Amino acid sequence: MTRIIRAELLRLVRRRTILLVLAGSSLFATISTVTVLSSAATTDVASRREGATRAALEGPGGGTEAFAIGASFLGFLVFVTFIALLANELSGGTYRSLLLRHPHRLQVIVGKLAGILLVAAGAVAVAELATFALSLLVAPSQDIATSSWSSIDGISAGLRDYATVLGGVAGWAVFGTMLAVVFRSAPLALGVGFAWAGPFENIVVDSWSTGYRVFPGQVLASLIRGGTVELGIGRAVVTALLYSGVAAMVALVIVARRDVTA
Amino acid sequence: MTTTALSVSGLTKRYGDRTAVDDLDIEVPSGVVAGFVGPNGAGKTTTMAMLLGLVRPTSGTGTVLGRSIAEPAAYLSEVGALIESPAFYPSLSGAENLRLLATVGGHDPTPIPSLLDRVGLLGRGDDRYRSYSLGMKQRLGIAAALLGDPALLVLDEPANGLDPQGVREMRALIGDLRGSGRTVLVSSHDLSELEQVCDWLVLIDTGRSLYQGPTSDLLDGDAHRLAIAASRPDDHRSLREVLVHHGHDVQLDGARLVVHTVGSEDVSALAAAVNQVAFGAGIVLVELSPQRSSLEDRYLTMVQGGAR
Repeated sequence: MTRIIRAELLRLVRRRTILLVLAGSSLFATISTVTVLSSAATTDVASRREGATRAALEGPGGGTEAFAIGASFLGFLVFVTFIALLANELSGGTYRSLLLRHPHRLQVIVGKLAGILLVAAGAVAVAELATFALSLLVAPSQDIATSSWSSIDGISAGLRDYATVLGGVAGWAVFGTMLAVVFRSAPLALGVGFAWAGPFENIVVDSWSTGYRVFPGQVLASLIRGGTVELGIGRAVVTALLYSGVAAMVALVIVARRDVTA
Repeated sequence: MTTTALSVSGLTKRYGDRTAVDDLDIEVPSGVVAGFVGPNGAGKTTTMAMLLGLVRPTSGTGTVLGRSIAEPAAYLSEVGALIESPAFYPSLSGAENLRLLATVGGHDPTPIPSLLDRVGLLGRGDDRYRSYSLGMKQRLGIAAALLGDPALLVLDEPANGLDPQGVREMRALIGDLRGSGRTVLVSSHDLSELEQVCDWLVLIDTGRSLYQGPTSDLLDGDAHRLAIAASRPDDHRSLREVLVHHGHDVQLDGARLVVHTVGSEDVSALAAAVNQVAFGAGIVLVELSPQRSSLEDRYLTMVQGGAR
């Protein structure tokens, strides 16, 4: 499987990808930092979904608060990206080409997922560092103290934010892979994924708050945010692991059993 | 080393009610260029996909390079394949795509420039795959199949989309591969192309085998016709009449006459007899040549006759 991961990195870690990651991270850092720091609430908020408080921003985890809040809106982007990447492989014949060189189907799919996730992990790290650096620059103009950001607690909070965001990204990636494997068509898989995780879940949870705890998209969003009022981080982690495990199982069973005809 | 490169027995693949490959028996010896011939939907690609572990047989057994087709991982490192259309990453160059596949297969990437040269892509190896013409994509597919210097090459319609010059070059390339001692299984709709390059043929129709064996056995054994032409075209009518009078089976074929052997009559004996009759009638022949059936003729005869 390491050969598949290496090949995936060979494909993805290229100047164009690096430039895209840097540009995307800069854009993300700018929008997240300016939006979160400039709209910091002086009163308490229910969760990161409503933004950040000044107290939270001046706390040890304040340096990556903008990153964590901004990242909660990126899950869907990760989802559609994984659907597009994997579905195109399955329908375009490159998956078949890889199997002719490495006829272990599960290793190929898992290796590809791992390779893309490694790149995503790098991109998330760059985005977090960029957001932290920009927050340090912008905070003084908003009268936000930054002295505790570089403390041990601050670094721990940053690592925790990184882990929860990456966990959420991995969950979205697994769901995206499952849809790509099931439908083997990027337009179809994207359509289904978009309809489910976009309008359907968000419309339903407006009138059925339990949806925040049971819908996969809402669970992963809660995970990325580090927990919400509706779903704490502990339960979000367990539920996300459960859902991702089922999605991974479905994808792997199909991959193992289905003929490769594209 | 095994003397049989691949063999299948009772190989069957069903998709619901449709049978794509039906109780197929094939054996291809090592070291030959074997043509795999059949009309659209005959089951060629499905058979190749089963040999390559992409499609699971409904029933039947087989071996590739001495290993069971139930365990493709045991032999695929020694097999190079181009099946269906070539598929590469559009944003990578041809050389980068080959390096990626070499990484996946655990092959040495050093020969990639020579492989690109061999398929006529050396000057375009650094261009992105998306800029390639269909013919160039086919060539890159062949180069990818040659990674790792495989003992068996499985090529599905390798000349598909190539212009006449490209077809000729592909034929030469496949001919070169024969010289290196490896086995090549190549499917194609262009029967004349296969006739020239293959020394072994496997003919199938509706998923069943019609013929398998040396190309020469299929073609040489069928030289039962003689094409003749008189020096003066005006003599063709009288030549035909006199030949028919002597009991020959004669047909007009364009600007020539075609005389068929009767029963077990040898075509050389027929040539002598026809020449004698023409001479006796005062007609000078400028052509007197045994006509071997082309692969296309034989193939169509077998398909239409449902030969087994």
